[in-house]
Amino acid sequence: MKQNYMLISRVKHHIKWKALTALLLLLIVSINTFAQQSGRIIKGKVTDESNTGLPGVTVRVKGTKIAASTNSDGNYSIKLEGAQYVLVFGMVGSASKEVVINGDQSVLNVTLLPDSKTLNDVVVIGYGTSSKKNLTGSITSVSAEEFNPGVTVNPAQLLQGKVAGLNVTVSSDPNAKPSATLRGPSTFREGAAMEPFYVIDGVPGMSIDLIAPSDIETIDVLKDASATSIYGSRASNGVIMVTTKRSKEGQSRLTYSGYGAVQKISKQYDMLSAPELRDYLKKNGQTLNSIDDDGSNTNWQDLIEKTGYSQNHNLSYSGSQNGADYGASVNYLDNKGVLKNTSLKRTIVKGYVNQRFFNNRLKLGLSVTNSVSSSENVYQGTALYNMLFFLPTVSPFNADGTYKENYNRTGNGTRNPLSVIDNNSINQQNNKTMINGQAQVDIISGLKFTATISTQKDQNNYSSYLNSQSGLARGVNGQAVKIDSLNKVTVAEGYFNYDKQFGKHNLKLLAGYSWEEDKSNDGFGLTTQNFSNDNLNGTNLFLSNPTALSQLIINNNPVSTLRLISFYGRAQYSFDDKYLFQGSLRDDGSSAFGRNNHWGLFPSVSGAWRIIKEDFMQNAPVFSDLKLRTGYGVSGNSLGFNAFSAITLYGTPPTGSKYLSSTGTISNAIGYTQNENPNLKWESTSTVNIGLDFGLLKNRITGSLDYYIKQTSDLIYGSYPVSTTQYPLPTITANAGKVKNTGIELSLNALVVKTKDFSWNSSPNISHNKNVVVSLSDALYHLDYIQTALLGGKGQSGIYSQIIQPGQALGTYNLWQYAGKNAAGVSTYYNAAGKIIATQPLSTDAKPSGNAQPKFIYGWSNSFNYKKWDFNFLVRGVYGNKILNATAATLNAPGDSKLQNIPRTTLGESFNDTNDYLLSTRYLESGSYLRLDNATLGYTIKPKVKNIKSIRLYASGNNIFVITKYTGIDPEVNMGGITPGIDNNNFYPKTRTISVGVNASF
Amino acid sequence: MIITQMKQIFLFTALCAVILSATSCKKLDVPIESQYTTSNFPNTAADYAALYGTMYSNLSSSFGVPYWRMQELSTDAAIIPGRDGNFDDAGQYRQLHYHTWTFDHPNVITIWQWGFGGINNCNRLMNVTTGSTSTAAVKTAGIAEIRAMRALYYFFMMDLYGNVPLIQSFPVNTLPGNETRANIYAFIEKELLAVSQVLPAKTATNQVAVYGKPTKAMAFALLEKMYLNAEVYTGVPKYTEAVAMADSVMKNTTYALDAKYSDIFDVNNGPQITETIFAIPYDQQIPGNQITRFGFFPALAPAYGIPNVGFSIAMSTTPDYYNRFNLSGDVRTSFWLAGPQYKPDANRKPDLTQPVYFSGTTTQININPILTLVPGKPMDVGNTIFSQEEGVRSVKYWPDVNAIQATRLNGNDMPLLRLADVMLMKAEAILRGASPTAVNGEMQTPLLLVNKIRARAGAVAATSVDLNSLLDERARELSWEAWRRNDLIRYGQFETEYPLPNDVLSMNKDITRRLYPIPSTELKLNTNLKQNPGY
Repeated sequence: MKQNYMLISRVKHHIKWKALTALLLLLIVSINTFAQQSGRIIKGKVTDESNTGLPGVTVRVKGTKIAASTNSDGNYSIKLEGAQYVLVFGMVGSASKEVVINGDQSVLNVTLLPDSKTLNDVVVIGYGTSSKKNLTGSITSVSAEEFNPGVTVNPAQLLQGKVAGLNVTVSSDPNAKPSATLRGPSTFREGAAMEPFYVIDGVPGMSIDLIAPSDIETIDVLKDASATSIYGSRASNGVIMVTTKRSKEGQSRLTYSGYGAVQKISKQYDMLSAPELRDYLKKNGQTLNSIDDDGSNTNWQDLIEKTGYSQNHNLSYSGSQNGADYGASVNYLDNKGVLKNTSLKRTIVKGYVNQRFFNNRLKLGLSVTNSVSSSENVYQGTALYNMLFFLPTVSPFNADGTYKENYNRTGNGTRNPLSVIDNNSINQQNNKTMINGQAQVDIISGLKFTATISTQKDQNNYSSYLNSQSGLARGVNGQAVKIDSLNKVTVAEGYFNYDKQFGKHNLKLLAGYSWEEDKSNDGFGLTTQNFSNDNLNGTNLFLSNPTALSQLIINNNPVSTLRLISFYGRAQYSFDDKYLFQGSLRDDGSSAFGRNNHWGLFPSVSGAWRIIKEDFMQNAPVFSDLKLRTGYGVSGNSLGFNAFSAITLYGTPPTGSKYLSSTGTISNAIGYTQNENPNLKWESTSTVNIGLDFGLLKNRITGSLDYYIKQTSDLIYGSYPVSTTQYPLPTITANAGKVKNTGIELSLNALVVKTKDFSWNSSPNISHNKNVVVSLSDALYHLDYIQTALLGGKGQSGIYSQIIQPGQALGTYNLWQYAGKNAAGVSTYYNAAGKIIATQPLSTDAKPSGNAQPKFIYGWSNSFNYKKWDFNFLVRGVYGNKILNATAATLNAPGDSKLQNIPRTTLGESFNDTNDYLLSTRYLESGSYLRLDNATLGYTIKPKVKNIKSIRLYASGNNIFVITKYTGIDPEVNMGGITPGIDNNNFYPKTRTISVGVNASF
Repeated sequence: MIITQMKQIFLFTALCAVILSATSCKKLDVPIESQYTTSNFPNTAADYAALYGTMYSNLSSSFGVPYWRMQELSTDAAIIPGRDGNFDDAGQYRQLHYHTWTFDHPNVITIWQWGFGGINNCNRLMNVTTGSTSTAAVKTAGIAEIRAMRALYYFFMMDLYGNVPLIQSFPVNTLPGNETRANIYAFIEKELLAVSQVLPAKTATNQVAVYGKPTKAMAFALLEKMYLNAEVYTGVPKYTEAVAMADSVMKNTTYALDAKYSDIFDVNNGPQITETIFAIPYDQQIPGNQITRFGFFPALAPAYGIPNVGFSIAMSTTPDYYNRFNLSGDVRTSFWLAGPQYKPDANRKPDLTQPVYFSGTTTQININPILTLVPGKPMDVGNTIFSQEEGVRSVKYWPDVNAIQATRLNGNDMPLLRLADVMLMKAEAILRGASPTAVNGEMQTPLLLVNKIRARAGAVAATSVDLNSLLDERARELSWEAWRRNDLIRYGQFETEYPLPNDVLSMNKDITRRLYPIPSTELKLNTNLKQNPGY
């Protein structure tokens, strides 16, 4: 029976597959012929508006592979060939220009205008490209020259403030990944499940860490489902398409870019000094225990923080000749954190070669990228916590040079922060290699077949050593952890593109198949202890001497192999560049889901009307472009799943792992660890998007306005309660929730001033998103709310600070309601009945109180050019969000000032207030901020030396100032995940960075 | 020329198409690696043993803390007062103390899931056993073991929640409704009587094999507990039956009182303890016993040989309970820590030459039995050094020197049923109307039984015994063994208040509190369940 079913499904699929192919073949109507003609020489000069010669402009004879480039004076010379005598002039940052050669013309001088978001810009849309004017979906492109400067580790940082609707939060921690949320959170799962899907040079599912920011040419952000659903089940959170720099035809290029940066901490907590603390205690009739006061005055923040010096070097070269193009780059980044012993060193080497055969009709390509990184980290949770709380009245060291500790002290400052940093290390080595092979065949005119095979190997080696002086592993003579894991991704794809123009009709078709296998978590993890000295830093686990089995911890390391298979197709049709239509369909299968729901279908339709092309618009001279777009599509979310998500698992039971066997030995019990859910399926997001693109005053002002409604259903939550009177385990992973995001986005680009020597280009964007949890339940699974954000704190074990509840946004705080101080100076709270109480409230007294989602996110980029000078700055910020400053709450414990340091603000509190540290609405602060994120001043030299094209020197500042009412270190707390907007004693210090750099091309 | 090229291109395309169709299948069945799932487990005898192990690993996981707290913190035997806001933890300990728990108290939820998870697991294991290829004898023994453990889980559920659903098989297709407590009682009785015929008896040679596993004596002792409380559970007294079950245990002479009371609870306790009938084995690797973590005094840890573990200052006994330890010579009193503290000597007696000081001071630790609440604060004694010293701590389960900071676990097995309890229960059943009986030729009166217990403890012999003095004897003998709530309810004293100085809260004396509520979460998930009266 099962066999039969398989057969039927295979037959079905074959029919579908054949139908797609047949459709393509039917539409092929003509075969181009190639005419060979001998040519003549055309010479000329390419200049900019100020008549300065432009070097490095590509000059191409249209329809051929013949190309040349201008020299340092802007002069070129090219031999004509082919049927058409049309020259195409192009250069990065300028609008390309096509000029028809007249009869016997032999000189052609051309002026190229700087690019003001021209409509012919090519946008990467997934399995193909499109010109911007032909887009029907919502896509934002950001090119290299618009990227944020500064010490950038991850490409998401380049986009901060540049893309309406994309909320990127960046930590100054060199080893932390930025979080990126597009158009609001639409899942309850954290990590990859909430992040956009990355596609690198057309290869889906590769790690974004493989790409050095300086190797990126453009980033296209696909926002609505009509644009993203071609990526089907992984596209719910948007797709970020990264295109790396490639050589241009007929050019050879050598560039070097590099910078050095100084990173300083932008703000510290104002904690009391030792004399101030002693004074405060004395005033309140208190004295420190003698062990807690040795007469010192230690500033712990200064002791474990430092100035970070970072550098980045990137050398790349590329060339193109004889039907081959090739290139390579080496990038080295050394990013030192501002917390002692935190750093990242990374080297990325990349190379590619493409060769054309058979008169350009077959193109074979290979690219290899390798990224090796080495990072150093500390136990940040403990270190950052104690840096604030540890008493300033003791010195870091005892007289004998050992670290001073008082383990019997209770409260929050129980571990010497310097000791935490010096005696506990984390080292991580990562080695990623991506190999991508591609073959492209022009079968007949307009019909192209592309096959790619890509692999990624990601080897991660984690080791940590808590040495014999460590306060985190006391009395064990050194504890070492080693975790090695290997993740492999293999993607094979094949797709046909067919482009055909007949008359005013333009048709583009795509049909493809993709097969992907992810094998992850192949490795082991081991913890052992007891070394005879610390000299080896735990690098050789064999030399440990664990005295009991419980001292040897073996990690649970299930290898997960996940397979994804997809069929996809897309049709784009336009009439007269005026009416545009697009439809796409993707059928995705994933082994992650329940056997009843392996497959999901993701359709989209969209259309656009270029109103500007209508006759009546000819009388509206103000408009130079006007396009109305609308689309509907469904995309899925299967990110963040492993191969075992839906099946019954046996393993170490969650309730107790070991038992005493009948032989008297301790043995592993093996029991149910997961309830099976054969119906587990994709989360699916349907988006309706309406957009308007416009250009005014000959496109001096361009912009886009988008409105969307994004509804996500079948949200997966891992802990739906089921009755233990029915199931062996109390929770199941199931789809039942619904979330809705509605929003509006506006981006503008204006060439404000344009004179011969001076130009000012200004690009503001603003977006608003409203997130609401619609439901958490369906017929089978029910939840009234999900409590999240278990922050702990004195007497607050088991108290949650956020709630996911229908009618509220994700990230809604659920807090005790502060009612001010009573006559005795004691903090009071409203209980559930509305009565004011001066004691600690109960968990049932908490109420929903605001949320962490910003009402607006905005960014405003500006670039000024004056002769050889350029100046850019970016202002960005968020408005209308709340941050729970749990750090301030925990610090504000005057009654504990014998045990832990207090901030200056606490001096105003009554010593007898024993409730002031409780997490309540008192510590819910506005998270709005406006930051001058970066400003860069550059100077470009174009020396009249033959081998140097240009050299740009620049100086740049990051986080120059921030305007905010937030009282913590910085309002840019993590906005990703399901517990956004919480500052809980673990905030990696924010930095202010000054960098100087050079970009040189030869 | 062009035609040749075209040919080549078509050839190449065809090749690509072949490659594509070879891979272009919809095969998503990826073999499961490195996880046990239904396709590769269970197969071997070791698999079955490991599966059966889940009955015990589940038992140990929540017995030592949440179950124990429901049975002890709701009585005078144990208390976790607030310490200047610390250990308030949303009022969960004070709710137990004042009987003001609600249907979403964390222990109430956890223990329900623990119990019914355990029961469902037993039902599944029965399916697996029945479907296995083992011999009939192996299956019979296996089924008896599972049924006995299921009966034990049911006993916990019936004792705590009363009217619980009765689920005897897996899968459960319709959500079950409540049964009366009497019906559950009857089911447990029937099951235990049946399996007691099949379960192994402890012998001189199998003590390791049956340790921590159901035996005949386990079934008898549990039945004795059921019969002694039958009036509470069903309204029908069964004291004679209780005595009979005690005798059934005692007829097996491999059970005998151990000479040293402390051995029963020591870190290295195990099969060699002759009086243990059923214990929950704990170890550094078998988590769940955190008696020392909560019930010891942290500043004493170095003196007890555990310098690197930070224990909690949380839990103590109440003065009322401690005052019951008033017999001269009673070794059981010495395991309470009260007054000036000394390092223990090799015999675990205070070494008066070695006072223990607070670290870095010359102030001797001096534990004050009186818990004086901070005026106006609910059940909070404050968090000064002085107030930290308030509350009598316990080393009855001797602190485990192998404890580590990360887990703070004790390796001491926790006895659930032991001979001393069987004897005291028999004495009580007789005092409640059953006739004394002879065992192995010895006529056992309540006084004889009590004095056997006292003699082992080194306490003065009693001259007479009545129900009240028996309850005090049980308090002394079985302190912190998770029976106090059961005893107080049987004696009608569960609602006796024992106020602390400055108490602003008072106990909810409603007798409906003798049952815990069915958790809110469960009522929501299973609409066929009805809440217990009074909630």
